[in-house]
Amino acid sequence: MKTPPFKFHRPKSIEEAVSIASELKNNQETFDWVSGGTDLLPNYKWHINPKKHVISLANITEMRRHEAHHIGAMVSLHELEHGPTHSLIRRAAGTIASTLIRRSGTVGGNLCLDTRCFWFNQTEDWRRSIDWCHKCDCDTDADCRVIPNQNTLCVATYQGDLAPCLMVLGAKIHLAGPEGQRTMNLDEFYELDGMKRNVLEKGEFVTHITLPLESDQLQGDYQKLRLRESWDFPEAGVAASWKRNGNKIELLNVATTACESIPRLHSEEATEALNGWNGEESAKKLAEVIRKTVKPVNNTYFPPAYRRKMLRVLTKRALAGSWSDD
Amino acid sequence: MGKGYRQAPGKGKGKSRTDGKRIAGKQDFGVPGSGGSDPYSNLQDIDRIPASQGGQLKQPRGPHVHDPHITGQTIGKSTPLVDSRWKVTGQAEYGDDIRLPNELFGKILRSPHHYARIISIDTSAAEKLPGVKAVATGMDSVNRFGVLPVTKDEHAMAQEKVRHVGDLVACVAADSEEAAIEALSLIEVDYEVLEAIHDMEDGLLDSKDPIHDRGKYHIGDSNVQKRVFQQFGHTDAMREAKFQSKSDWSFAGLHHGFTEPHAVVAHWDPNGRLQLYTPQQVPHYVHRALSSVLDVPMHQINVIRTFVGGGFGGKSDPFPHEMCAAILSRKSGRPVRINFDREEVYWINRGRHPSRIQMEVFTDEEGRIAGIETDALIDGGGFASFGHVTTYYNGVLHTSPYEIGGFHYTGARVWTNKPASGAMRGHGAVNSRCAVEVAIDDVCEQMGVDPMTFRLANLLPPHSRTITGFRITSTGMRECLDEVRKQSGWDDKFRKLPFGRGIGVGCGFFISGSGLPIHWDPENFPHATVHLQCDMDGGVTVHTGAADIGQGSDTAVAQAVSEVLALPLDMIRIRSKESDTAPVDLGSYSSRVTFMNCNAAIRAAIEMRDKVLKAAWEITGYHPDSLVLGDRRIYYKRDPAIGISWLEAVHKAQADTGSLIASGAYRTPPMGGIHKGAAAGLAPAYSFSAYVAEVEVDPETGFVKIIKAWAAHDCGKALNPLAVEGQIIGSCHMGMGQVLSEEMRYGRTGHLLNPDLLDYKIMSVHEMPEVVPIIVESNDPEGPFGAKEAGEGPLLPILPAVVNAIYDAIGVRINELPVSPDRLHSRIEKKCRKMKIDDPMDLPNPTFEPSPLQQKLSNRAEEHANRDLQRDLLKDRSAYVNGVLFGFDPDLPLHEQSEGWRESVTPTPEDLADDSKRAARAWNHVERRYREENA
Repeated sequence: MKTPPFKFHRPKSIEEAVSIASELKNNQETFDWVSGGTDLLPNYKWHINPKKHVISLANITEMRRHEAHHIGAMVSLHELEHGPTHSLIRRAAGTIASTLIRRSGTVGGNLCLDTRCFWFNQTEDWRRSIDWCHKCDCDTDADCRVIPNQNTLCVATYQGDLAPCLMVLGAKIHLAGPEGQRTMNLDEFYELDGMKRNVLEKGEFVTHITLPLESDQLQGDYQKLRLRESWDFPEAGVAASWKRNGNKIELLNVATTACESIPRLHSEEATEALNGWNGEESAKKLAEVIRKTVKPVNNTYFPPAYRRKMLRVLTKRALAGSWSDD
Repeated sequence: MGKGYRQAPGKGKGKSRTDGKRIAGKQDFGVPGSGGSDPYSNLQDIDRIPASQGGQLKQPRGPHVHDPHITGQTIGKSTPLVDSRWKVTGQAEYGDDIRLPNELFGKILRSPHHYARIISIDTSAAEKLPGVKAVATGMDSVNRFGVLPVTKDEHAMAQEKVRHVGDLVACVAADSEEAAIEALSLIEVDYEVLEAIHDMEDGLLDSKDPIHDRGKYHIGDSNVQKRVFQQFGHTDAMREAKFQSKSDWSFAGLHHGFTEPHAVVAHWDPNGRLQLYTPQQVPHYVHRALSSVLDVPMHQINVIRTFVGGGFGGKSDPFPHEMCAAILSRKSGRPVRINFDREEVYWINRGRHPSRIQMEVFTDEEGRIAGIETDALIDGGGFASFGHVTTYYNGVLHTSPYEIGGFHYTGARVWTNKPASGAMRGHGAVNSRCAVEVAIDDVCEQMGVDPMTFRLANLLPPHSRTITGFRITSTGMRECLDEVRKQSGWDDKFRKLPFGRGIGVGCGFFISGSGLPIHWDPENFPHATVHLQCDMDGGVTVHTGAADIGQGSDTAVAQAVSEVLALPLDMIRIRSKESDTAPVDLGSYSSRVTFMNCNAAIRAAIEMRDKVLKAAWEITGYHPDSLVLGDRRIYYKRDPAIGISWLEAVHKAQADTGSLIASGAYRTPPMGGIHKGAAAGLAPAYSFSAYVAEVEVDPETGFVKIIKAWAAHDCGKALNPLAVEGQIIGSCHMGMGQVLSEEMRYGRTGHLLNPDLLDYKIMSVHEMPEVVPIIVESNDPEGPFGAKEAGEGPLLPILPAVVNAIYDAIGVRINELPVSPDRLHSRIEKKCRKMKIDDPMDLPNPTFEPSPLQQKLSNRAEEHANRDLQRDLLKDRSAYVNGVLFGFDPDLPLHEQSEGWRESVTPTPEDLADDSKRAARAWNHVERRYREENA
């Protein structure tokens, strides 16, 4: 197993990073961003879509800014776990992968995590034995191996934990690139395509996340499904947040992850459920709605039917705090 | 204790000669001089000397034949492994650490197809690539090999066909890894893809292209590699028994998951000899295989075992990549190193067989096991490996520890287009043991008896014979059960814990060394040989071929020698790595090393001790019978002040004989039946174990968490309690992986989906519960100092203990491993549907209502405890064979006493009439000598 050679760039500022990216883009060169490297480098070792250039964001100090409502993309998951942000984020960060990975892995990397699939996250020899797949087709126009006989949509699964938690707190994501900077709601950042994954254009990268001040008044919980708590990727995840006023719930948000190519914010379903909310019963109904809305495919460790059923259980459990104080 | 005797030779007030010459044994080696890091010798510790020798070490099971050789030095003391400092300081050299000057990188081209015929291979472009020094294909290695002489079906590289994805096709050696990888991509192979077999049941059918053309002994045109039939006892009557448990199990294939991927370095040295460095459990078989594959006599090959980063059975076959490295090195004239990626480790596999086992346990109104009927179909993957043996073990290793009325076994192993299965810790015994123990739990439920009592009332006693003729010597089964019952608080927990919490029990039985070695003739050659040599420095060098694979065999052998010679461990040097210097040893498999090698080592040490004592006799004038060895000193029994140092005696012995060497060997006693297959499962001793596991089940998600396990294992005598406890806890970890999460998962297209350690789910330390290791010592009469194995047996009981605990927790029975959350969840859903319950939290909690049989069994268990005590301690050696519980006279042949008693290994059509039995279908084919011949 050998990482293919690449040229390594180490800009010291956002501007420098943008200018390196612009230049490479103009020269029609391929490149990847790397922050913690816990996702990208294993893929490179397996020769999964390696590029000729890799631009590291590790030396950009301004991307490490870490405040209650501002999280730089280069803040490590470990720092996030022990940092000043919302408790829901801190708790969720503490469940990501393992301690070792959290020390390297970053917020930006977790949000931009490449989608995963049994037929894709394999070595080169292995992928040759299945004649490649749509996501890494090696110029063969190979079909998707999860849903055979189609090579238009990639259904690889997004298995990040932070995105749903940030979504239910109303986070905004800030990007920088050759075309300038832009900001959007986190749920608008993702695109339902296992290959494109998000709105990032070539040369563009995530600089930081901001949380609205009102998020301080939200409580929430994150529940995830995985076989080993030590370091497995989530197989399903549900984040919920609510604003409590006495015994009443005023705001409710639910987001899911690890079941589709994107994390998904279920605003409509949550708003509807809030109407006439009566605690556990309503939570059960909402959980059933969520189960029906999300459609996992057979490309991660647990079978999709089970993951959907678990979404129901996880939703119920994520919401439990909204009617009990335990 | 204060300091004893100063260990400097030549300082005593001995006689002096008047002719100016030195007295033998009086050379001054300076202070401290007599070896060991402590310059003073300690008085013999009376607490460590067995009562039989006048010491104060209690012997609840009576004296042992090795008692006179106990010097109190190391046996029974928790001792860090002798190589542990090398490992923890990172200085141990594993396969991948070997670096030879000028070495080349070897890479292997592997098949992308499950099953294909090779039409042509063109290596010309690869050979021309700069940096490439050698390319080899199947044409360079036409000789077959295989771990078992009866089933040699492997080649270094594919000859005509590739048999699974990842099968070896060609290999390249180049002076950089990059060049080797690029060269592989330049090799053009033209394949004709053949129809692959993925489902093991398809392997039972006739095939257009059987995976192997084996010449002789073809079973129809099927892919059946081996079929075994055994029928003993009242097999007709057992099926009429009142209580019956039938289950149809499915076990996923497993990989050993050792830390170190395979790595090998081959070097044809300037003298034209092959030096092969490899992390091997069984260097001797590689030695043989290399000789036949390379057409080179064995004396021209030196196999050097590196440190082994875990094996568990997965490094006990001779491997094709070892042949490839040798072939490439011969072609290039340079050392060649091949290191595996993790995925290649899964492709070479040799892990636990995926199995489908139909298990029936019958019990009668007396609460006796009327019989066990087992049908095991096991999936061998592309090659035979150890499969011949595995097919037997799936049956014969569950004929004990219980006394049974009948035993009916049909087993078959088929070839499929998967990576080859082989031997893995608990070889062949694990899956069927799990099925038996869970079935016992099930019949106990039907009978209304506590499964703990039931087991205690049905055990074979010490010094007895099983239904198929295995000789049981020592057994600590009863004590194991008693201990886990007591320590786990079983009586307060069984069927009494709240819903979602459960407790379960399981037992185990395993061989302590294979009675019939694979590549050997036990009539003529010993199983194990150990040579000792002692030079002027007084330290003892031990030459043994036993492969230390992390289990601590070097330590065990060093302990045995150290004990007999009363030397500290740091004076014992183990040389076990090279075939050039080591006597032939059959390797680390079948849990044979402690039993066989330590026995050989004890014999060698006794021989050396006798030589040294003879010298001491001459110096001191006291007969060896009145001399005692104690910590580097030899002294008069009645007055410890009179004596000489070890070194003094050694020098005298050397002066007298010229050299101080000794040798010892071990061979098993004659034993076992005479029927075909009688040798499978035959061992000079057997280990026993009983575990209780407590679990917590989340009925909504199907997640199982093991809270705690109480693990009692009868290892005869713990030579090194630290190592035994390590083996017990490690076995628990491995077994918990198999029962809860580990599986080699094959996808829709037959590809192995998880050849990596992220998706092959080995439990991490985070998931590991507290394990309470309980060592039971049954003092085996033939084991070294009473010891038996502790490396494999402790794995068996954890599986059924957990499965039974899950039932106790939520009332759901499992017949599929691993019990991953999704599988358990679907069982819970099924049960809810059946009981018309919406919320799984409303499922009923299982309860226990003892029937009148409970008291009866309780009484019988008590009687049997007394019987075992008589046979064990009071030396009642009257014959006891399986069947006495059913009223047979042990002194007469059983078939003469009852008409229905069968002892058959050849099935009649009636024996195979039940067509729901899978493996039994292997007899649908007619055996023929060559495929071309007509049936």
